[in-house]
Amino acid sequence: MIRWSQRLVGALALATPICALAKPIAFADGTTVMAEYGAGTMKEIQIFYAPEYNYSVGGGRVELDSDETPKSLSITYARLNYLLHRWNLESAQANIFVWGGAGSATGNTFRGAEFAGNAGAQADFETRRVYASLETDWQGASDFSHRIDTLQLGLAPYQHDYNGLATWFVVQARDYTGGLHRGTEWAALLRLFKGGTWVEAGVTNDGKIQAMTMFNF
Amino acid sequence: MKKLIHIAAALAVLVASSATAATIEMNVNGLVCAFCAQGIEKKLRKLPATADVVVSLEQRLVAVALKDGQDISDADLRKALTDAGYKVIGIQRTDEPIDAVRGRLKQGKR
Repeated sequence: MIRWSQRLVGALALATPICALAKPIAFADGTTVMAEYGAGTMKEIQIFYAPEYNYSVGGGRVELDSDETPKSLSITYARLNYLLHRWNLESAQANIFVWGGAGSATGNTFRGAEFAGNAGAQADFETRRVYASLETDWQGASDFSHRIDTLQLGLAPYQHDYNGLATWFVVQARDYTGGLHRGTEWAALLRLFKGGTWVEAGVTNDGKIQAMTMFNF
Repeated sequence: MKKLIHIAAALAVLVASSATAATIEMNVNGLVCAFCAQGIEKKLRKLPATADVVVSLEQRLVAVALKDGQDISDADLRKALTDAGYKVIGIQRTDEPIDAVRGRLKQGKR
């Protein structure tokens, strides 16, 4: 049971890429569509629309499968992302985002559908050469509750311009609280984006593949 | 007399064409990624007087080409950029065509 919980928490950690790996709001009147494959245990799609630059609404569906047991979990959710504050500096930008959502979880370890809640926050700082973000994300239902803290540090080998290809090398450290997972999970990621298209892939310290694609339009 | 009328007409056309700028350039803070530029471009292209938009992250510059005889007030430009989530720190109007601005920015010149 503990092993399954660890798998589940790990997979859920990968299930929040919009928050953990990118800004939850792209731009005003912008739509974000995302698909992710995480370490063989997770598949997810998300769609968000931002009526204004400071908030977005949307939802998604995540399917989680244990690679050691036949247990699985699916969550369909709606979420509101809100930009609490933005600092526009001469050659940098910093943001604080918060979000909250609710959904329905089903799984083969419990009967019927279960209400699931989500809340989190992200602070980030970005120039055209360096990127840093710190995020905390809570997920809970009657059968599970945990918090995941993620730190990302990124370095661009060159300064991209609009319509050019942006390349980022990102190191990620992730901690799980609530006594469900021990230690810090590390990942090395290569992030590429051009225009509104974003592709990211990497590997965790236990050799598992993490990949994500996102479109903003 | 006929020659004088022709000269006056030519001068009138010249004055009318220079009354409105061809391009408006804005210095913008917070321009660090392609998504920033994408959002700003989308916002500015919605303005009816906008003919074209160029964004340079390198020069922290947003340039708007105006349609013939049309203009966008500084207040409207500032509002558009603020609504996109960015801060305008300077606005300049120029007769330079947008393609010339684009070429200048490609050469790394502000």
